[in-house]
Amino acid sequence: MRQCRSLRPIVSESSPSFLERHQFLIYRLFSLSGLIPVGAFLAVHLLTNASILAGDDGRTFQSRVDMIHSLGPLLVPVEVAFIFLPMLFHAAVGFVIIANGLPNVGSYAYVGNVRYTLQRATGMIAFAFIVWHIMQLHWLGKPFGGGRFDPHYAASTAATALQPTLTAILYTIGILSTVFHFSNGLWTLGITWGLWTSPAAMRRANVVSIVVGLGLAAAGLGALGGFRSLDVPKAQEAEVWTEKQKRALSMPGGAVAPAPIPASTH
Amino acid sequence: MIKAADSAADLVHGAGGDGHGTARSVVRVRVLRQDVAGGESYWERFEVSYEPNMNVISVLQKIAAQARSQDGRKVAPVAWDCNCLEEVCGSCTMLINGRTRMACSALVDRLQAENGDEIELRPMSKFPVVRDLVVDRRRVFRGLEKVKAWVPVEGSYDLGPGPRISPEEQEDAYPLSECMSCGCCLEACPQYTKVETVRRDDESEADFEKRRKSAFDTGFVGAHAISQAVLFNAHPTGRMIADERMEALTRQGGIQMCGNAQNCVAVCPKRIPLTRSIARAGRAATVWALKKLFDR
Repeated sequence: MRQCRSLRPIVSESSPSFLERHQFLIYRLFSLSGLIPVGAFLAVHLLTNASILAGDDGRTFQSRVDMIHSLGPLLVPVEVAFIFLPMLFHAAVGFVIIANGLPNVGSYAYVGNVRYTLQRATGMIAFAFIVWHIMQLHWLGKPFGGGRFDPHYAASTAATALQPTLTAILYTIGILSTVFHFSNGLWTLGITWGLWTSPAAMRRANVVSIVVGLGLAAAGLGALGGFRSLDVPKAQEAEVWTEKQKRALSMPGGAVAPAPIPASTH
Repeated sequence: MIKAADSAADLVHGAGGDGHGTARSVVRVRVLRQDVAGGESYWERFEVSYEPNMNVISVLQKIAAQARSQDGRKVAPVAWDCNCLEEVCGSCTMLINGRTRMACSALVDRLQAENGDEIELRPMSKFPVVRDLVVDRRRVFRGLEKVKAWVPVEGSYDLGPGPRISPEEQEDAYPLSECMSCGCCLEACPQYTKVETVRRDDESEADFEKRRKSAFDTGFVGAHAISQAVLFNAHPTGRMIADERMEALTRQGGIQMCGNAQNCVAVCPKRIPLTRSIARAGRAATVWALKKLFDR
C-alpha cells in the first residue's frame, strides 16, 4: 500500500490539481483556521460551559446562552460561516495531510514525534467527537434523534443528555483530544508562521501552550462534571421562571432583546 | 544459534572483552539485502571477528572480505556506499539498529550495548534501493537544486571581493554550512515519503529524467534544503536571489509540508539547528507571501 502511495506522483503527472498549485496558501489557511475561528470558538465554548460551575442552578449558564441566542436570526449564518465551514475546511485539509504522512514513532520515539503522531490521532478523534456532539445536542441532530439541547432550558437539557456513564466517558476522551489538538496546534502554528524560531523561544512558547491546554482541559472537564452533578429539578425550576420573565417582558413591547435574568435568589 | 555463539565465546575467553561481562569475540550482523533495483529484499546474517573500536564500515569490509553468510554459504559481498570515513561526506547513511545514522561513526561497542548481540543494517527507506545498502539519493540533491542552494557568482568578469560578513553572522551561518547532505533528516521525517520512478520501455533517458524531477518536486523538499535556503538567504551575495528561493520554498512540496515532528533536528549527525531554520524560513515565507499579495 505504501508502495502505491509513493508511486502516486507518476500517475498524476498531468497538470497539478488545484490543491497542489495552491498548497502553500491552503496549508497556511488550514493552520490559521485552527486558531481563528475554530480554536477561538473552542475556548469560548468551553469557558461558557464552565459557567455551569457558578453554583446557581445554571442561571449564569442560561444567561450566557441567552446572550449567544440574542443574535436571533443571525445565529445560524454566523454558526455556518464562522464555525461549521472553517471546521469542515480544517478537517478536510487535515485528512489530506494525515493521508500524506507516514508516522514513524516506533523508530524515532522523540517527544516531538510523539506529539506529531498524537496531533494526527487527536485530530481524527476530535472530528468524530464533534460530529457526534453536534448530532447529540445541536438542533441539526434533531432529524437523527438527537438535538437534545434546548437553549431555553439550557442547563437542565444539557445535564440530562450528559447523564449516561458511557456518554461521560466519550465526552472526557473527546474534550481531552480536542484540547490537546488545539494547544499542541497552537505551538506548531507559531513555528509554521515563524512567531517563535529559536529553540529557547519554542520552549517558552511550549510552556504557554501547555498552560492554555491545562486551563481549557480544566474548563471542559469541569463543565462536564458540573452538568452531571447539576440538580436538574432545581435547574428546571429556575429555567421555567426565567422563561416566564422573558415572555412577560417580550409581550408588551415586542423587544426580545437581552432578558434580565434574576440573580440567584436563595 | 545463541548456544553456538556462547561456546565460541568461551573458547576465546577474554578476547576483546571490555569488562561488561559479554564476550566480544564475534560480531553478528543482520543485513536487509536486495540484489537489484526494484527487486525483492531478504535478510541475510553474517558473523565477523570482533576487533576493538570497530565501526560499521569495518564490519562491512570484513563481510566483503569473507563473502560468506553466517551459515557458511558463499554469497556476494554486501554493497554499501562510503567515502570520507570521518562523518563529513554524508555518503554512508543507513538504518543501523532501526535508526538513521552514518555507518562510519557508528561504533560496534556502542551498538551492541544498545541492541544486545546483533547489529541490524537496512538501507534508507525513503530512497530507492540500488543494491543492498546503496540507495539512490538523487532527490536529496534535487532538493538543493530546487531552492538554489548556492551563491550566484558565475559571470564573465571579476566581481571583486564579496561584502564583509560580521562575526555574529558567521557564527549564525557556520552550523548550517556543516550540512553534508547525508539525508538523515529526510529519512527520519514522517512528512518525507519515498518517491520511486521507474523508467518506461518507450521512454528516452531525457524524458525519464524530466519525469523523475517533477515527481521529486511533488513531494516534500525536506529539512536540509530549507536550512540551506536559509543559509544562502542570509548571505549578502546569496541574498540576491532570495525571492527565487522563497518562490521555490512556497511551491508544491515546499515548507508548508513540514509537520513539526522535529525528528530532523534530533537525528542530524552534525547537530544543525534545523527546526530553527525551518521556523526562520516559515517567518520569511509569511512575510514573502504577504509582500506578494500586497506589493504586486
